[in-house]
Amino acid sequence: MTTVRGTGALVALLAALGGYLVVVERPRASVRPAAPAPLLVDPASAVARVELADGERAIAVLRRGDAWADADGRACDGAADLVDALRALRPLSVVDAAPHAPDDYGLGAGARHLRLVATDGRPLLELDVGDRNPAWTALYVRRDGAPEVLLVGAQLAWELDKLDNATINARNRLTRGRDR
Amino acid sequence: MNVRMRVGVAVVAMLLVAGGGARAADDDKPWTLDANNWQEGKDLLPEPVLKHLQKGDYWFKVVPVDRDKFHHNYSKAFWDATESNEGKYDLDDKACGLKNKSDGKIPDFVFGLPFPKIDKSDPKAGCKIAWNFNLASEMGGGGGATFTLNGIDTGGQFRRIKAFIHSRGYQGRHFGKLKDNPENLEGEGIGGALEPVDVEGVSTLSKRYWDWDSQDAIWAYVPSTRRARRVNAASRSDPVGGLDIFADDLNCYAGKVEYYQWKVVGEGQILAPVLQPYPFPMKMTSPTRGIIETPYMTAGYEKPGSKGAPWWIQENLVFVVRPVWIVEGQSSDPYYNFGKVIMYFDQEMYRIYWKLVHNRAGEYFYTAMCGYHFVKNDETFSAVFPNLVVGVNDKTNRAALGGRFQSSFIEQNWDPSYFSLRTLTHMTD
Repeated sequence: MTTVRGTGALVALLAALGGYLVVVERPRASVRPAAPAPLLVDPASAVARVELADGERAIAVLRRGDAWADADGRACDGAADLVDALRALRPLSVVDAAPHAPDDYGLGAGARHLRLVATDGRPLLELDVGDRNPAWTALYVRRDGAPEVLLVGAQLAWELDKLDNATINARNRLTRGRDR
Repeated sequence: MNVRMRVGVAVVAMLLVAGGGARAADDDKPWTLDANNWQEGKDLLPEPVLKHLQKGDYWFKVVPVDRDKFHHNYSKAFWDATESNEGKYDLDDKACGLKNKSDGKIPDFVFGLPFPKIDKSDPKAGCKIAWNFNLASEMGGGGGATFTLNGIDTGGQFRRIKAFIHSRGYQGRHFGKLKDNPENLEGEGIGGALEPVDVEGVSTLSKRYWDWDSQDAIWAYVPSTRRARRVNAASRSDPVGGLDIFADDLNCYAGKVEYYQWKVVGEGQILAPVLQPYPFPMKMTSPTRGIIETPYMTAGYEKPGSKGAPWWIQENLVFVVRPVWIVEGQSSDPYYNFGKVIMYFDQEMYRIYWKLVHNRAGEYFYTAMCGYHFVKNDETFSAVFPNLVVGVNDKTNRAALGGRFQSSFIEQNWDPSYFSLRTLTHMTD
């Protein structure tokens, strides 16, 4: 009788521990901080136009099938890589949720502004692009008009410069062609 | 830098590339680039390096180089083979594997650059450049050196590892293919730590197969367990000995060409680090072995009162202005730690002098500067050795130096059984 009671107690304890694991521990173990969403959540094919501007100059590159070209139809490499990078890059951290002086991050009036537009004219992403961080590893950005300053990997700077240079190269190709 | 400034820089860069008269390219006297005239380095250095130059961390002794003479750092045999390779080879569309144009199969043996002419608008240009680099690296055929790895932070050296590496190449070597290659290898190597005692005997054996899709076979041996274990080929992107340097820094890229997707994104000029612009002689000590003596490159932490960062080389390193392809490489291996890597390849000698590395989150974190020396006695044989890596982790503000050996050797006839698990597991006997 004692044995049966003891076994029953052990089974009850086992059931209690199992219940505790299922109810308390398992959900806790599965709660992992969600990775922040990438800067661009839409598929690359949804992007029809890429615009990059600062206070003094603006460039726009348009999708032409699988390729990209500037407003005058001159082929411009670089936009596809930029779009791919925006789909992969995620904010590394929120540096400042409510900055008093955005200029400190290079996000004042002189900041670069990147805008991605869908085929129907809907904006897919708007980014203010500021300075690099002191270690040079990342960039300060603000997304879609939100005040918070995000830190994004410096690959974004590389891709933006490629796009910028690609538009210059496209113009030079035309100039050289005319010279000939 | 705003858009207008960047545009200005880019336009100047293009003018320089077009022969518009960069001071560095045209001067016939050595000059020093440092914080006082850093603007002159704007189009000659990657951006993170320029930042260090501006801060006074780095300085560069730039020496003039006769372009034609520099070209002849490689043997006539090598250049003749390169010329005869024109039109012979193509690339597999999917894997970036080298193949014969004639039958679509992987070539039996290649010597010289497989793609003598590169058209940057060719979608396969990046992969072709990588193959030229690979075959140029292999011209020596094999050899070895004992070298050091030094971990350095702003206070000086914090760790030193003495190690050795021995290698044998089956492809790309002067004097034709080796008779026996039962494992169908492109190359193989064995390396191990000699000092300090906590890492003594830790060794690796690597075998690279001459095909398009096999992973490198790498075994690591740890003396305390007396076991050799197979490790993932992606471990080339793991830090070596806890230092800011990676196995993939050898020659600035040590992986199989097929591991990366390659893309040309530009061209320009760069300051290329070399021990000296022209070749060192090789002293033959046997019919198959030649010894090359080279001077030691003292770094800042070893020389009190030196100029710049403690890891910056102070002596016996010069820089020459070289035309480069700017190429992106990205691995598709999910276990590989690097994201986008930007490399600067010599357009003629196919050395990588600089690489900028992003992690998989897109953060730039690391620059490697890769220095070389050339070896040549006559026009029948030449080799190019990687003799220096300055790896700088800009995220942690630490660096590592690799190489700086004073003696290295070329061996044409290794014992057939040397590159084996038996050698690896008996390293500390």
